[in-house]
Amino acid sequence: MNLLLNPLFLSIAAPFAVAVAILCGLPQRWSKRLAYLGFGLPALIALWCWANFPANNGAEYAWFVRASTGLEGFGISLALGLNGVSLPLFVLAGLVGLAAGLYAIRSTAERTKLYLMLLLFMQAGLMGIFASEDIFFLYFFHELALIPTFIMVGIWGGRDRNYAAMKMTIYLTVGAMLSLLGLIAIYVKSGANTFDLMALREAVAAQPIAATAQKYAFGLLLAGFGILVSLWPFHTWAPLGYGAAPSSAAMLHAGVLKKFGLYGLIQVALPLLPDAARAHSQILTVLALGNVLVIGLITIAQRDLKQMIGYSSVMHMGYAFLGLVCFSTLGTGGVVLLMVAHGLSVALMFLLATSIHDRTQTFDLADMGGLAQKTPVLAAFFVAATLAGIGLPGFANFWGELTIFVALWNVSPWVAAAAIAGVVISAIYGLRAVARVFFGSPTPALNGVMAANPPADLSWGEKIPALILLIALLVVGFWPKSISTPLNAALTAPVATAKTAIP
Amino acid sequence: MLQHAILVLLLPLASAAIIALFLRRAGGAAAGLATAVAAAIAAIAIILAIHGEPFSASMEWLRLGDFSLSLGIKFDDLAALMLCIVGIVGLCVHVFSLGYMHDDPCRGRYFGGLSIFMFSMIGIVLADNLFMMFIFWELVGFSSYTLINHFHEKQSAADAAKKAFIVNRVGDFGFLLGIVACYWLNGTVNLTELGDKHVFSTMIPLLLFCGAVGKSAQLPLHVWLPDAMEGPTPVSALIHAATMVAAGIYMLCRINVLMTPDALTVIMWVGTATALYAALCAITQRDIKKVLAYSTLSQLGYMVAAFGLGSTHAEEAGAAVLAAGVGAAMFHLTTHAFFKALMFLGSGSVIHGCHHEQDIFKMGGLKAKMPLTFITFTIGVLAIIGMPFLAGFFSKDAILHLALENNHAVFAVLGFTVILTAFYMVRLWILVFLGTPRSEESAHAHEGGWSMTLPLVLLAVLSVLAGYTSLYGHLFDGVWSLIPHEEGLLIPLIGDALMLVGLTAAWVLYKPAADDALAQKSPGLFGALGALKASFDKLYDYYVAKVQQRFAMLLNFLEQVILSGLIVRGGAGLAGLFGLGARAAHVGSLHAYVYWFLAGVALLWAYAAGVF
Repeated sequence: MNLLLNPLFLSIAAPFAVAVAILCGLPQRWSKRLAYLGFGLPALIALWCWANFPANNGAEYAWFVRASTGLEGFGISLALGLNGVSLPLFVLAGLVGLAAGLYAIRSTAERTKLYLMLLLFMQAGLMGIFASEDIFFLYFFHELALIPTFIMVGIWGGRDRNYAAMKMTIYLTVGAMLSLLGLIAIYVKSGANTFDLMALREAVAAQPIAATAQKYAFGLLLAGFGILVSLWPFHTWAPLGYGAAPSSAAMLHAGVLKKFGLYGLIQVALPLLPDAARAHSQILTVLALGNVLVIGLITIAQRDLKQMIGYSSVMHMGYAFLGLVCFSTLGTGGVVLLMVAHGLSVALMFLLATSIHDRTQTFDLADMGGLAQKTPVLAAFFVAATLAGIGLPGFANFWGELTIFVALWNVSPWVAAAAIAGVVISAIYGLRAVARVFFGSPTPALNGVMAANPPADLSWGEKIPALILLIALLVVGFWPKSISTPLNAALTAPVATAKTAIP
Repeated sequence: MLQHAILVLLLPLASAAIIALFLRRAGGAAAGLATAVAAAIAAIAIILAIHGEPFSASMEWLRLGDFSLSLGIKFDDLAALMLCIVGIVGLCVHVFSLGYMHDDPCRGRYFGGLSIFMFSMIGIVLADNLFMMFIFWELVGFSSYTLINHFHEKQSAADAAKKAFIVNRVGDFGFLLGIVACYWLNGTVNLTELGDKHVFSTMIPLLLFCGAVGKSAQLPLHVWLPDAMEGPTPVSALIHAATMVAAGIYMLCRINVLMTPDALTVIMWVGTATALYAALCAITQRDIKKVLAYSTLSQLGYMVAAFGLGSTHAEEAGAAVLAAGVGAAMFHLTTHAFFKALMFLGSGSVIHGCHHEQDIFKMGGLKAKMPLTFITFTIGVLAIIGMPFLAGFFSKDAILHLALENNHAVFAVLGFTVILTAFYMVRLWILVFLGTPRSEESAHAHEGGWSMTLPLVLLAVLSVLAGYTSLYGHLFDGVWSLIPHEEGLLIPLIGDALMLVGLTAAWVLYKPAADDALAQKSPGLFGALGALKASFDKLYDYYVAKVQQRFAMLLNFLEQVILSGLIVRGGAGLAGLFGLGARAAHVGSLHAYVYWFLAGVALLWAYAAGVF
């Protein structure tokens, strides 16, 4: 198929082209108008792909296209396609991107053009990550999305932005480097001399990678991806970075980009290095429980709303890692469900946290209270986002957590019990934050702020992005099959049937 | 009939969605819609019950690998009975709310919450498997949270809502773990399939029972229910007296087949302890709703104890257990739903009449001001204390009968609780309705409109008649046939004698009282009861503030200081120092480089010569 007409390529090219146009000096007004296109087109394409995905063929790559890059000698080519695992995340990237983009276009950030340009580059990278079938480009698009994050934290960040930007850069660069080493190790040791994922899977199916090589490669990938996904105790960049990041950047990073590590583990590490993955499962279980229990308790102690959201996001990554160590379709499928759900809900939380800050001029939970009386709609959205985050049925998160809990029983009933205990912890910090911000009566300090600037309820500029995320959470929450059917097909299919690509 | 069942489930969901999307500011329209839906639910529930044929259907909702989760309906006499209770009490509460909440500015949110509750509760009733039950179990928790939180500008309401949700989550932790265990050990969570085949395990029913301990507010997770009285009074009647808190008992009856003798013994004692404890607490309460709340706890304890008692007829492990406990528990659940909803709505009528005064020592003399409320409330009181020929009499006798047959210690405790029940209910009744008004508010009390009195009359009629199982014709035969029947008059006589003791004591103490007579005559006992009531809250407050919070702060301190500070910043500092050192070595002087070169050569030589 012609590359230029391929929907996946368009979803990457559209934001990229708009970003380049802004870089070349598009005037402000046109920058904003085109930015709608740059964020809207990928989201529409993602939804279209979701609706038209061949339902029971999740294992095959739909809309597959391969383009020459001139690097075929190294086994690198631009190969795009969606299978049942990448489809939900592709949709996630499109929707969160649209919400973050709309929020940014309507925001009053200084140097709006630069801000939008960086976000658009990021969006191109995000769509690329989940549309790439070639590991080299998987990594390339991740870097494309990652670098703008640092710049955005550094320029538009809040408190501690310099330290936060530096720490985030160092951690995430190290994480990316380690995972790159791991990917190269696979390239070398598989003997296939290709970065093409399907070719690699076939090669490994015929001749597994040697045990020692697997061990080192998986160790590198786990360390690298672990840092990127904020595995305990390599997580300290996350609350700090998200606390400082401007809202749209935090939405895109916490919501989508952070899922790259888990995606890499599911699509690359587990299928290609299965023996080493099992050998590492115990240590990973312990660290992931650290995410759930230790970070969970730390989240309770947070006083800053944004830090609290950051920590809660770190905690939920523990569930994702726990789902991986089940080594079952149920566990891995649960991880994908949770990735989508968490991405949507955490993005919604960051968006609403900024909206709260706009009205209270503070992120300090002790200085808030009673906001629901002034802004009932904002309160309703925030309560919904919190309930989604703590896994209430009806929201997508419930399915992710439930399936992981069920799968964990086979790892060990004790691990399952410890993980389920996290449900109580997340209810404590979630509802506590809701009560502090919205219920009871306002503090005197807040009364002063609100007297000077009477808070208005959510504007449409805030409501529309929030609605996009909330509706997606509810759709998956009420109709999980929309994701699980292609996902199940992809995860249960034997490798041999996965090689054909739908034109 | 399947269509009816699906309709009865989806109608309230549609109502909630419409209210949330379009009718947030149109309180009147929201109230009308929700009430119409409630009426439809009651009607369809009765149609389904009359039709009576059990049926089931299910649909796969999620599949990953071998794991399949389905949503389905299992309709039998047990579900029919519960559905009718939810429908009838729900309708009464909706109608009552039309009057009670008429002036509330957030009526839309309130009625939307009621609709969500109806949806979730009906989901529990119809669920054909434990996963589905858990889904709706969580959703009733959410609707309870929203409705307790209705007056959210009050700090106490916000705290109570939060507490209710979190305490329930603690119970749900065990419930979910039990469901997962049941799934893997039995290979299914479908209620019908579990009935056919299941492994013998005490762990599974006990874990599942944790869910009932949370939702039905049994010791030690009962603390949320008295606080939940912060919600509007009709909500207390519907959710925190008649239906949601009874869901725990309903769930136990649903999983009856999984029980083992050991599990049942635990359940029996938890219920018995709750019945006694809560009755003791109820004696010292001054708030009309708190008295009723503790009374609800106590009666729920009766039901749980009944469940535990009856089914211990199991002769051998794993054999089909006799279901007498299910019969007695569900019978009491039914009668209790009617008379407790009646008394809560009656208290709502009193509170409404007295301009939101809730202290019973500031009431008095309402008999003349609110005659209809007085008559209906009196029927409720007589029903709960077990006056012969009213509903509570029959169901309580069934429980006492089981206790006498199976466990004399439990019988003694439950018998003593009968005295306490009569005592605190009559105390409440005297203080509210007899004597003279003790405050400005009660002197000017007035009866509410028809929407508030009509539900009282209907529930009063049911509180009289619900105990005569022959009146139902063949409805709910599957449940009523399980009720244990005693021979002779022994139990009724004992029960009534005990009831009269409590009644007389209350009459003597409180008839002339303007202040708490027990507190004056026996301050030591009164103080001890108060301390007993406060003990759990104190313990949990201590745990939350002193243990959990401090542990969280400690972990946070370690995180910020040791991990982020010492290790990460320290690591960065070390790297920086190393950089400084390395920079110092590059001084730019040729001599220095020569020396470094020579040192390197010396090291290499030493290595080659095997010095190291």
